[in-house]
Amino acid sequence: MTELTTTEIIIESILMPIVAFVIGLFMVLMMRKIAARIQRRVGPPVLQPIYDIVKLYGKNTQTSHGWMHDIGIVMAVGGYVAAEAMLPVPGLNGIAEKGGLIVLTYMIMIPSLGLALGVGQCANPNGSIGISRALTAMLAYDIPFVIVVFGVAWHFGTTNLVEIIAAQQAAGPSGWGASQMPLLAIAGLFALQGMLGKQPFEIYIAPAEIATGPMVEMSGKYLGGLFVMQCLQIYTAAVLYATLFLGGGENWLSFLVKIFAVVAIPMSIAFVFPRYKTEDLIRLLWNWPVMLGLLGLAFVMN
Amino acid sequence: MTDKTEIPVMIEREQDPKRTNPLAHVFDELVKFCRSRSMFMLHYCTGCGAIELPPAMTSRFDMERLGIQPMVTPRQADILLVTGYVSVKTLKRIILTYEQMSSPKYVVGICSCTVNGGMYWQSYATAKKLDEYLPIDLYIAGCMPRPEAVIEGMQKLMADIRSGKASNWKDYYRNYDYYLGNQQHLFGENWQTPTDVIGEARNYSLEGPGTTGEHTQLLEQYQQPLEPITTHFRIGESVTVSGEEDT
Repeated sequence: MTELTTTEIIIESILMPIVAFVIGLFMVLMMRKIAARIQRRVGPPVLQPIYDIVKLYGKNTQTSHGWMHDIGIVMAVGGYVAAEAMLPVPGLNGIAEKGGLIVLTYMIMIPSLGLALGVGQCANPNGSIGISRALTAMLAYDIPFVIVVFGVAWHFGTTNLVEIIAAQQAAGPSGWGASQMPLLAIAGLFALQGMLGKQPFEIYIAPAEIATGPMVEMSGKYLGGLFVMQCLQIYTAAVLYATLFLGGGENWLSFLVKIFAVVAIPMSIAFVFPRYKTEDLIRLLWNWPVMLGLLGLAFVMN
Repeated sequence: MTDKTEIPVMIEREQDPKRTNPLAHVFDELVKFCRSRSMFMLHYCTGCGAIELPPAMTSRFDMERLGIQPMVTPRQADILLVTGYVSVKTLKRIILTYEQMSSPKYVVGICSCTVNGGMYWQSYATAKKLDEYLPIDLYIAGCMPRPEAVIEGMQKLMADIRSGKASNWKDYYRNYDYYLGNQQHLFGENWQTPTDVIGEARNYSLEGPGTTGEHTQLLEQYQQPLEPITTHFRIGESVTVSGEEDT
């Protein structure tokens, strides 16, 4: 592979988050459509996610609760924007070779921490309860997630995402992470559900109970920023899973099929479940996926 | 009660001439269109009208295909639905909720009770006409209106937002004195909310001759400055709760 020039890297790093946002909008649409179909509804029109974001940014009142609130939203979006530049997509590698899996793992924790700072300044008790639950949930799903990441890195002998994709594509579907490490792939699905914050691991949003937790004081462009963050979050989780277990994308068509299929799994599960309590969530995520992950790790390291 | 014909009619001026961007009107149209297609509603369900809202939102009538979604906090919402009779105590909460919503905001009164008191006309504890206390954009009459009526009303509101006709939230700033006067008439002259409505009116340059007046002077007289709530923790001391004794 030829070495990229600095200009090319900068162009790709700008292009990749934009691509991610556009795909993320359609993923949000798909999520809402799946929810509607499960509940026997028609669901929103195709451009609904864009209408929502434009409307929120176009509000006349923009209630800020202080500069930490502003920075919190910037961190929440910025963490994912930085993560997108490290996630290789077909034809665009960005800084993926220099970043790697471990930096990426850190990057996707930044949004939760940024949100915690921002919500803290809102001084709304529902927000504080929500964000403390969100950080607890992060602690819960990060354990299986780290086990999965470690197992994949051990199996392929590298943390470089470009090399992981190249190794899987050279071996074909029988060499994909999901065929080589099925137990880790299942544990990864649990972590994915937690990472997306979907039911049954949705206690920190809980609209009927704590009024959407972290989002309770967000209005206008702040809520719009969180809607953008949601697009990027779903995209990041899907692409990361496809990269680790489904061989990344050979071309754009197979790439899009894979990432949309990955998002469809947790969404189809989500809307038929209620939610677990925080302690049950931790108990579940520290029992089954961790046990599956450790077993898978034993097979991989053998 | 002030007669509505006595209120001076404000004539809308053109947008301020500072806007030099040639695409400004295109953006305006885009935002207006998106506002009409994406409405987050906060339903303040006070009475029986609330029963007709779940069918309007769920599988039978599905409001989401029009872009209408329920939201749970006033900060996130665009529309305030008041569905049913409004008692004096409830009205205080509705006004607090309304003032926390971010502009542009719209209020929809559902059921006859919000129009004229409905079957609670003779009740001493019920606010009869909601538009005396809040700027209403749309009434959906009926006892109770069926989901079809609710959705048709919502489509009317969408068309009004699209054409810029639904701008009654500006009226709250322009004629704040009128609304505050009616609120004081019900709640007593020391009524106040944490929101600085007059300051907001100045911020949006919506201050008119009706923004301040005798009622806002009364408000200034009784207004107490907001203070941050302090939290006290007592660690290491035994806390006794009055009324509870060891048995």
